[in-house]
Amino acid sequence: MDAHSVQLLTDRESSRQPLSVLVGNPNVGKSVIFGLLTGRYVVVSNYPGTTVEVATGHATFGKEKNVLIDTPGVNTLVPMSEDEKVTRDILFNPRLRAVIQIADAKNLQRALVVTLQLAEMGLPVVLALNMHDEAKSRGVSIDAKGLSEFLGVEVVTTVATQKRGIEKLARAAASPGVPGFSVSYADSIERASEDIFALLPETLISKRYIALTVLSGDSSVLGQVAGLGAESRARIVGIANRLQSSYGEPVGYLINRRRISVIERALSQVMVKREGTSRGWAGRLGMLTMHGVWGLPFAAGIVWLMYQLVGRFGAGVLVDFFEGTLFGEYINTFLAQVVEKTVPWEFVRDLLVGHYGVVTMGLTYAIGIVLPIVATFFFAFGILEDSGYLPRLAIMSNRLFKSMGLSGKAILPIVLGLGCATMATLTARVMPTLKERIIVTLLLALAVPCSAQLGVIMGMLGGLSPVAALIWFAVILGVMFLAGALAARVIPGRSSDFLLEIPPLRVPQVGNLLAKTGARIEWYLREALWIFVLGTLVLFLLDRAGALGLIERAAAPVVVRLLSLPSEATEAFIVGFLRRDYGAAGLFMLARRGAMDPVQIVVSLVTITLFIPCFANLLMIIKERGVKVAAWMVVFIVPFSFLVGGVLNFVLRRLKVL
Amino acid sequence: MENERIEEMLELLWTLKEAGQDSLEAALEKSEDEAPKEVFDALVSQDLATVRDGKVSLSSAAEKRAREIVRRCRLAETLLAQVLDLEDRDVRDTACKFEHVLSSRVTESICTFLGHPPVCPHGKPIPRGPCCLRAETQMRPLVSRLTDMDLGAEVSIVFIAPVQHETLDRLGGFGVVPGRTLRVHQKRPSFVIQVGETTVALDEEIAREIFVKNA
Ligand SMILES: Nc1nc2c(ncn2[C@@H]2O[C@H](COP(=O)(O)OP(=O)(O)O)[C@@H](O)[C@H]2O)c(=O)[nH]1
Ligand SMILES: [Zn+2]
Repeated sequence: MDAHSVQLLTDRESSRQPLSVLVGNPNVGKSVIFGLLTGRYVVVSNYPGTTVEVATGHATFGKEKNVLIDTPGVNTLVPMSEDEKVTRDILFNPRLRAVIQIADAKNLQRALVVTLQLAEMGLPVVLALNMHDEAKSRGVSIDAKGLSEFLGVEVVTTVATQKRGIEKLARAAASPGVPGFSVSYADSIERASEDIFALLPETLISKRYIALTVLSGDSSVLGQVAGLGAESRARIVGIANRLQSSYGEPVGYLINRRRISVIERALSQVMVKREGTSRGWAGRLGMLTMHGVWGLPFAAGIVWLMYQLVGRFGAGVLVDFFEGTLFGEYINTFLAQVVEKTVPWEFVRDLLVGHYGVVTMGLTYAIGIVLPIVATFFFAFGILEDSGYLPRLAIMSNRLFKSMGLSGKAILPIVLGLGCATMATLTARVMPTLKERIIVTLLLALAVPCSAQLGVIMGMLGGLSPVAALIWFAVILGVMFLAGALAARVIPGRSSDFLLEIPPLRVPQVGNLLAKTGARIEWYLREALWIFVLGTLVLFLLDRAGALGLIERAAAPVVVRLLSLPSEATEAFIVGFLRRDYGAAGLFMLARRGAMDPVQIVVSLVTITLFIPCFANLLMIIKERGVKVAAWMVVFIVPFSFLVGGVLNFVLRRLKVL
Repeated sequence: MENERIEEMLELLWTLKEAGQDSLEAALEKSEDEAPKEVFDALVSQDLATVRDGKVSLSSAAEKRAREIVRRCRLAETLLAQVLDLEDRDVRDTACKFEHVLSSRVTESICTFLGHPPVCPHGKPIPRGPCCLRAETQMRPLVSRLTDMDLGAEVSIVFIAPVQHETLDRLGGFGVVPGRTLRVHQKRPSFVIQVGETTVALDEEIAREIFVKNA
């Protein structure tokens, strides 16, 4: 991230402007306020972990133009996650002029833990009490003036979704103040922190913050202190270790406890909560959706709705229109005519609009078939994300994932993987430990079909008996659990405890939803389009050079003997490496020509689903997990997928169920 | 030699051993006594401790006595912190004075009153006493595991037994710390609790380590 955000800031004009940052707990409306203050659209997300990227823009406070940075949500400024580290590092920027802290008004205690830490850092702050509407409906009322006096900074109440209070916040941000709010900790902690003071050189950020952070067990902060000798550094770490060894609990936790108890006491002066207020329909629905029994029909209903939207509407109506009408009747016929008239060379004509033509095959597949499916999926996923439903699904599925060495958190990348495994591999970062990230990456590469592929697969299975679909589904699911359980044993390291905040259910905002879907589609086009073109080119050249036949013959022992498939199916596996959905589409064509019987269709679909991840996904795996892990995965997945296909073929032919 | 100095030394040796240290040198250095060597020699002459290769070992009688001292000290700390809501700074100093005066009967009633807590406010284990062993089979203690509470129950957190440090920190980030009130939303398929306006889902294994009493 660092390189990224710094780059955004180094254009001439911006580098002279002062810097302001938005800080706050996760999910308090920071992104919405950022959009309002900067007038620039950013991707707004409901899920911790998906806003790792840092957005930067320009905003005017008073009369002064500022660079404004939106930071990832934090619960503490003693970093425990990558996100929190990013935010903390931004706060160390020497050009920082103001911190605009966004608080969830109904959840003030957690916000004030951060305010207190900002005070200890000695930073100038204004505080926005956002979601004032929700607080009110839950019976929470806050004496903003009293709070402002207590903290010694300006406090503004806002409702970001209704644009209320934003102008006032922008005005207040022109004159932030350092909170005069401090806490004294246990004697032993105070004494140790004084000892550390004595060893620190003059620093920009307050020494108290540095001392307390080191005592909390994060000595990485010392790397930020310029001019600290190795010897002093070692002595400081020694002081922290000695203090820790006199306590059984982590010192950071004791400090945090003390903060919370002081804040609770202070809050009782400025906040009143009316008891017995009803939770409203959203609250009641929110509880039902994570209930052990009632949650299940909800989950089933949502899967059904997703299927209707993506499978029926996206893969049916939209694909018919894009591929059938738009490309089939207009673009391709029109271009074929144009090319016919203007291009004298047959080779180029074939390259563009032939059987393996870049336009007739590559672009038609990418834009005609895959894009409508992926776009509807991203839209549906955006609704799940913004409504706050996904964490509830995590509750429902936690136990299942436990058996695979994961926790319910894995639901986010896995469900996203149904849209695009490549993008999902990137979000494997939400998993807390390395082991879990590797398992999620493996499962995505092995057993999670992406939406475009799924669309094609559904289309093919739809033509067979329901038993066929059931067999496909059971085999894929079985393989997923088997591989997961195996990986959980083989891969060293540990799994994390399941601990997840559940945001309230909210009606998604259409603007956000569209902006987010748009950003994802753009990402998809950027990442995938050229691969389709490349893939078609490779096929075209292989075909021209006569190599396609050679490869098909070479693969015959596996494809024809082991799997009993027609030799043309090899083509599908070759392109399947370039794009999985592309491979499935190749099988689709074969089936439509009547070249495969039901057993062959099921076997080929199972194999291509499990078969190695597509090219883009492989690149992403290498980027995120390194060449070594990626190589191991390929070495495992390729033989494994053909083995499962072979066994299935053998069993199905013996049983004669199809 | 006064009893108090002997007891302080026994306590020190015991806690050092608990932390994996048994060198005599470390003990003499850490001791707050004016003449630690003198106290230690007294221990040796009373057959309470022996030294070999600079490593100290306590006799079984001394071990037992030290355990009881530590138990009294940590119980006193817990009492002061939880019931009287005293700040950490006061807790340590006062508890240190208590440990020499509590009789075993008073100690037992304090332990029972607190629900036989397994750890002190600083998270160190409190050695079990006879009352704790009896309680495990007979009495229903004042403090119970979060997993044993009924649905919808409003309870306050008394302490959280040692779990992974990272988990403890993340719980703290959500505001789940001793002293706060929480509500049990559901137990299946995962534990869901509500603290203030924050809803948190967690593994049953973590919930089991959160000890609560009725609010
Ligand atoms: N009711 C209400 N919802 C809000 C308000 N501000 C933001 N939201 C919603 O809260 C959710 C989280 O907001 P977001 O900006 O993504 O939070 P961030 O994670 O802090 O950036 C979104 O669904 C917003 O639409 C507000 O003032 N009132
Ligand atoms: Zn007891």
